[in-house]
Amino acid sequence: MTLRALALAALSSLALAAAAHAEPWTYTDESGQTVTLDAAPQRIIASQDAAAGLIPLGIRPVGIYADGPIADAKALQGLDLTGIEIIGQAWGEVDIEKAAALNPDLVLAEWWDRNATWSGGEDVVTLLTQLAPITGVTAGDSILGMIEDYETLAASLGADLAQPSIAAEKAAFETALTDFKAAISAKPGLRVLAVYAGDDALYVADPAGAAELLDMQSWGLDLVEPEGVDAAGNNYFETVSWENADKYPADLILVDNRSPATMKTALAQPTWTLNPGAKASQVAEWPAFWLRNYTHYAAALTELTKAINAANADLTP
Amino acid sequence: MPAEQANNRTGRATALGLGLALLGVTLSAIVLLSMATGARPIPVDMVWSALFSYDPNSTEHRIIWDLRLPRTVVGVLVGAALGLAGSVLQGATRNPLADPSILGINSGAALFVVIGVSAFGITQLSLYVWLAFIGAGIAMLVVYAVASLGREGATPIKLALAGAAMSAVMQAIISAVLLTSPRTLDEVRFWQVGSLAGRSMDIALQVSPFILVGAALALATARLLDGLSMGDDVARSLGQRIGLSRGLAGLASVVLAGSAVAAAGPIAFVGLTVPHVARAITGPGYRWILPYSMLMAPILLLGADVIGRVIAPPGEVQVGIVTAFIGAPFFIALVRRRKLAAL
Amino acid sequence: MTAIDASNIAGGRHQRESKSRRVTLGLVLALVLASAAALTLGDFPVPPEEILRSLFSPLTGITNKGVDFIVLQVRVPRLFLALLSGAAFGLSGIIFQTLLRNPLASPDIIGIAHGASAAAVFCIIVLGWTGLAVSLGAFAGALLTAFAIYILAWRNGVTAYRVVLIGIGAAAMLSAVISYLFTRARLMEVQQAMAWLVGSLNAARPGDSVVFAITLVITLPLLVMLVRGLDGLELGDDTAHALGTRVEQTRLGLLVTGVALAAFATAAVGPVGFVAFVSGPIARRLTGGAGRGIPQAALVGALVMLVSDLLAQHALPNMQLPTGVVTGGFGAVFLLWLLVVSGRSGRVN
Repeated sequence: MTLRALALAALSSLALAAAAHAEPWTYTDESGQTVTLDAAPQRIIASQDAAAGLIPLGIRPVGIYADGPIADAKALQGLDLTGIEIIGQAWGEVDIEKAAALNPDLVLAEWWDRNATWSGGEDVVTLLTQLAPITGVTAGDSILGMIEDYETLAASLGADLAQPSIAAEKAAFETALTDFKAAISAKPGLRVLAVYAGDDALYVADPAGAAELLDMQSWGLDLVEPEGVDAAGNNYFETVSWENADKYPADLILVDNRSPATMKTALAQPTWTLNPGAKASQVAEWPAFWLRNYTHYAAALTELTKAINAANADLTP
Repeated sequence: MPAEQANNRTGRATALGLGLALLGVTLSAIVLLSMATGARPIPVDMVWSALFSYDPNSTEHRIIWDLRLPRTVVGVLVGAALGLAGSVLQGATRNPLADPSILGINSGAALFVVIGVSAFGITQLSLYVWLAFIGAGIAMLVVYAVASLGREGATPIKLALAGAAMSAVMQAIISAVLLTSPRTLDEVRFWQVGSLAGRSMDIALQVSPFILVGAALALATARLLDGLSMGDDVARSLGQRIGLSRGLAGLASVVLAGSAVAAAGPIAFVGLTVPHVARAITGPGYRWILPYSMLMAPILLLGADVIGRVIAPPGEVQVGIVTAFIGAPFFIALVRRRKLAAL
Repeated sequence: MTAIDASNIAGGRHQRESKSRRVTLGLVLALVLASAAALTLGDFPVPPEEILRSLFSPLTGITNKGVDFIVLQVRVPRLFLALLSGAAFGLSGIIFQTLLRNPLASPDIIGIAHGASAAAVFCIIVLGWTGLAVSLGAFAGALLTAFAIYILAWRNGVTAYRVVLIGIGAAAMLSAVISYLFTRARLMEVQQAMAWLVGSLNAARPGDSVVFAITLVITLPLLVMLVRGLDGLELGDDTAHALGTRVEQTRLGLLVTGVALAAFATAAVGPVGFVAFVSGPIARRLTGGAGRGIPQAALVGALVMLVSDLLAQHALPNMQLPTGVVTGGFGAVFLLWLLVVSGRSGRVN
């Protein structure tokens, strides 16, 4: 028997011993599907959003697939990605060989109910589920709720949520939230509009489609609800011609910040300033769809609090 | 008899001159329609008052000045450029199917702009124009050279095929550049599909000198094109310098098509259809075909743009899509016609 | 045909046949090498002996789950799909180029691929379909487009001239349809449709190749039969008629076969351009006019597809390009080559 074979035998007996001690791991997603593994998964492939939810809680995936270039992924900004393999940088694409080389035991993604798909789309899911089962939290009605779902998930994966750093981040968020609520109640009558600006048209966000907007609504922010969210077309927004940029007058306008180009596009439109909020430069960034942890949420709320405090709430009747 | 002929000729010239005036009136009407059409209902008399007694506090006046006027001006300029470029190309190549988009000139211009943005970080429109010229010129030369291969020279079918193949190749290179450089995608996304939406007065001001020079050059080639239409041998025997004539015509169409692409993105079929309609009215003779095309093309382009604005509310359909829907059936009908090579 | 040509035919036949055989052999050899590279290269390191073991594991029963997944479920299906779709594109290209008597007249230029694309985008965006259903839609779209072009080009018979030009017109119109559908779509579906339009072998599954192989097995004998009829056709319609070839029927049969091959390949891998475009002329150039070059065009198509896919996967260190972008590069090189070579010799084919 060669040395290599001896070593292999020793390793496998170790692995057996470990397996004998491990508890089976189960997770049931919101649709009722349950994934059961022999032991808590150690080698996780995560979508960019799931990674943004889990890394701050101490669960580090071995691989991440993103919807676009990883450098542009807002959700991953400021997170330490060293040692994590990036296996996809375009929607619907994943490098199956890199993924297989990671030898994953679980794929964590998010379920998007409005589109009936896991993050990344059907092609990616078909490829990855050949390697490991897929599960995850549902992209729901509240970012806060999703963060709590991630806490539950992380705890089941063995994360220690009592760590001082995690507790500190949560406390910082609570403070930011208190300030945010105070700012809102100090400005009664402040009307807020969330938009995406395209060259072709202005897209007014339906708060019902964006979890962070629903959170802010529940904390007292007066958000415009557009009359006609497009049935055909993009069902998260109402398309409004730039000629009608003042259709929903507001005191404060939040612009989708997933891409820095969006704010540039908005400011370049000659009719942008038809809206009183834009005319008074009462414009701030909308952290659209990508918040997944307390750190990012606290930072976003702090920025919004500043904008609200500085805003004149009497531009609109 | 000679007196009668001369009479006939002056009569024809008068009729054609009147026709031209009529086109001018129609164009003015379309311009007014374009200024009065949009997502926000604005009455025509308000358009009038916005133009002649501007009130910066009126939302309607601002929309007319900031959105609809620049869009309309760009539409007129780009339309005139495409109509002239198409006529000149058809005359110079004696090819009834010549058009800046079919011959691959539009994609050549687009490719060079994309490369300029990605490789050299160019973002000013004034430089886009020059890149578009170079790209348009190179594409035209290559397409013409590929089509001229073989015994029978550059026949319509070979020109069209070479142009389509060249466009497809350049489209593939454009996608490669855009895929590897998302920043470039952000920068050029705005005119990848031919559209007049969101064009500012700046754009109109920057391309107008080029379009004016190109138009003057194109109109000046009328006699040369008439000479070429008799066939190279006849033209040569009458003392015309064939190479020089083709060169001048090519230069004019490259400048015109390049400016049009720089301002509005690639728009297909306007340069193809309009000269045929013009020719049907005026008969042969580029002295009339060229000015007719110059006025009819903006009517078609602005008309298509107005249709695109109202056809699918609350969104808009880009003018390049509308012209393709109008132009492609026209192209097919043209191909089905029995006597096609009669140029 | 001059008398000298005719007297040379008998003497030259043997020489030409052996040349065409040499070319075929060379192409097969190149394909074997490229296939070996396709099985060996990848982000998941597998030593060559393990690849061999894995390839024969269904026979030997010696398995290794991780390696077998990569080799048998990822690399082999992708390789087969590349070979089969490349061959189908190559065949359809040379059929069209021969029928329409122009080296530039391939199905990806004259609207067939655009028909498949427009149909696929319609299925994704309007009907909300995914996966196999989209491929079937694309297949139907290509057939429908070809039928429409044929009908529109019909006027006391069909001429190559009208088919090509109407095809180009249809291509422009269908591109506008695609752009229009994009403006009406939800973001998620736009992304799905874009991914399809780019054309890729990423989602190759073992089942695809089996269906594909069956189709080719059915199509090829038909093709051989029709090609015999083609020998009459090449002499020109009048001569062919005089020789008693049923011109229109043979032509229609070939057209249907060519369309079916292009439609099938496009449905399987998306509108990967220029494989059909370059294969025929390259094959003819290699054989130097010895024979029609149809089997060689299939081999060239497979080779171009496979090499493009290899470059697309491994040329850039941290990025996979869509295969269609690389084949576009092939198209560019080909056009320039056509210019240089034909400029010198003064002929296109």
